[in-house]
Amino acid sequence: MAISDLLGGFADAITPVNLLFALLGVLLGTAVGVLPGIGPAMTVALLLPATYVLEPTSALIMFAGIYYGGMYGGSTTSILLNTPGESASIMTALEGNKMAKAGRGSAALATAAIGSFVAGTIATLLLALVAPTLVQVAINVTTADYFALAVLAFVAVASVLGSSPLRGLAALCLGLYLGLVGTDVLSGQERFTLGIPQLSDGIDVVVVAVALFAVGEALYVASRLRKGSVQVIDHKGGWLTKEDWRRSWKPWLRGTALGFPFGVMPAGGAEIPTFLSYATEKKLTKHPEEFGHGAIEGVAGPEAANNASAAGVLVPLLTLGIPTSATAAIILAAFQGYGIQPGPTLLTTEGPLVWALIASLFIGNVMLVVLNLPLVGLWVKLLKIPRPYLYAGILTFASLGSFAVNADPLDLVILLGLGLLGFAMRRFGWPVAPAVIGLILGPIAETNLRRALAISDGDLSVLVDSWFSRVVLLLALLALVGPVVLRAVRGRRATPAEVAQEQEEDREVQTAANREGGTP
Amino acid sequence: MNEAEESVAAETPATPVAQRPGSFNGELVAAVLLAALGVYLLVDAGAIAIPGSSNTVGPRFFPYAVGGLSVLTGALLALRVLRGDRGPADDGEDVDPDAPTDWRAVAVIAVAFVAHALLINVVGWPLAVALMFAAVATTLQGRLTPVAAVRPFLVGLTVGCVVWIIFVKALNVALPGGIVLEFLTSWF
Repeated sequence: MAISDLLGGFADAITPVNLLFALLGVLLGTAVGVLPGIGPAMTVALLLPATYVLEPTSALIMFAGIYYGGMYGGSTTSILLNTPGESASIMTALEGNKMAKAGRGSAALATAAIGSFVAGTIATLLLALVAPTLVQVAINVTTADYFALAVLAFVAVASVLGSSPLRGLAALCLGLYLGLVGTDVLSGQERFTLGIPQLSDGIDVVVVAVALFAVGEALYVASRLRKGSVQVIDHKGGWLTKEDWRRSWKPWLRGTALGFPFGVMPAGGAEIPTFLSYATEKKLTKHPEEFGHGAIEGVAGPEAANNASAAGVLVPLLTLGIPTSATAAIILAAFQGYGIQPGPTLLTTEGPLVWALIASLFIGNVMLVVLNLPLVGLWVKLLKIPRPYLYAGILTFASLGSFAVNADPLDLVILLGLGLLGFAMRRFGWPVAPAVIGLILGPIAETNLRRALAISDGDLSVLVDSWFSRVVLLLALLALVGPVVLRAVRGRRATPAEVAQEQEEDREVQTAANREGGTP
Repeated sequence: MNEAEESVAAETPATPVAQRPGSFNGELVAAVLLAALGVYLLVDAGAIAIPGSSNTVGPRFFPYAVGGLSVLTGALLALRVLRGDRGPADDGEDVDPDAPTDWRAVAVIAVAFVAHALLINVVGWPLAVALMFAAVATTLQGRLTPVAAVRPFLVGLTVGCVVWIIFVKALNVALPGGIVLEFLTSWF
């Protein structure tokens, strides 16, 4: 059943025009994703306007390419630039960087690319198999269950991402507030619009995402720009040797096995599985002495986990309409922009469209592995773009994306205002992703809560009426209280290893820098 | 539990300048502002009109909840900040964690961005964006002279025009092009 639908999706996706859109998406996604300072979420947000004018099928096909392309681009950046990047590629960077410095850059890029391909293909296949089954379950999910799911997503995202749960919660509050601005769907009342007519439609998700990610990042980098010339490590050496293949294939599969389920769960995307994958490979390797000096397993595993979770994130998004990462929140906004509401009915109402999207994820993956290695020279050139031009360019495209939504200059002023907010959040270590997720998930949570209470005539017990909502709310409670209890019992933060690891890295980088600076 | 955290914090090499204890603490302001936002939500939610037909939970409920959560979070965060807890500033490929904050660059970018927003409908998007591009790039280069701004301006103008042609002529996005560019490309 799923297979025949998938084949139908391939038939839709393999027309010359749609293949062209897939190729365009893959190239654009990789090119933008490669740029330093631009993670997958920002790639997707910045390139959203390019898909606005296409009809939904072509737009989503191009979008699939952008999504996977952005992931690929990010790993190239983290391997070839000697600086920490966005959180999901930090683990790739740990070993990938060392490999590149040791003259094995090509091998690191190759194991990342092929690992992403393997993980992406398996995980997309799992998505195609799991989604129809999950929809059968999801169709019986009540409004109260939905509210419980949204609460779980809030709590998980706020407590997982960022330096401390309280700061995640603060970011979530900001997102929930922004989601409240506008006209209430159920009663038609305006809320918190300050009498500004343009705000009665609410604040556009694209504007918020572009502001917090792109403008906020540009302002933040501008305030602390690394001076001096850009240092890109050469990608030297041969591609994978037989030994490399032998050491890579198991980490690829283990990374996939970790990444996919974590992507499906509302746990904030790729941070946790990439970290777990790195820790697993470090434990299982036969070459423990190489870890910290460029072990290929440490690139292969996390990179596979990263891509598998990217496909896993699509499961709750397509079957429940619940975004579990910032990128997913923006994809949800894109769907809504095309007039499509993801949820349990999506596969029946827009079946061909969804299958064409899944099929193009496969196609995009193949294109990426074929294109990425030969084109690496081009990506390296992009890495060397002078930073003043890069950040001026990011602001240019931020302006384009936000102005194209409504052609209203006020949106650009809001963009800057929220960009300054994003700047402040970066300074204080408040994670940005919970704000974006709160913005898009807040209204979903509110609508379902009020519908549930309207049906029950205000009886609050409806919220814990089904087993499903009880289990989900219990999980949410655990996610909220768990870390606090753990810290009280063990006297440490939830992921001390990660913190310690990063600090160790920082110190190494610094001492290395000092040494280099010391010798004339 | 705080001891463990402090020891971790103490191990952190080179605390960024802006976050050293004793210096002005922006996060405290941010936390207080968040709590203030919560108070605003709580107060203003009472002004939301409730339609007569609404039976149980109306449009005020969720704002109250979010407002309450914001006040609580802001207050707790302010307390923690006062007790010495500092959030680590974000890392990034191009961020120098030890650099002092360059407020001038932030100000120039903010002003240039607002100016370009106001100019779009007057001189067209490509020129407005080119001016913003020039201001931002010149500031980030660290040399703010008219001569140093020529090259960034030309780069910005090229980017603006190419993007405008692609998006307006090929993708049909509505974007004012300015008199000159719209005249030159009217034969498309």
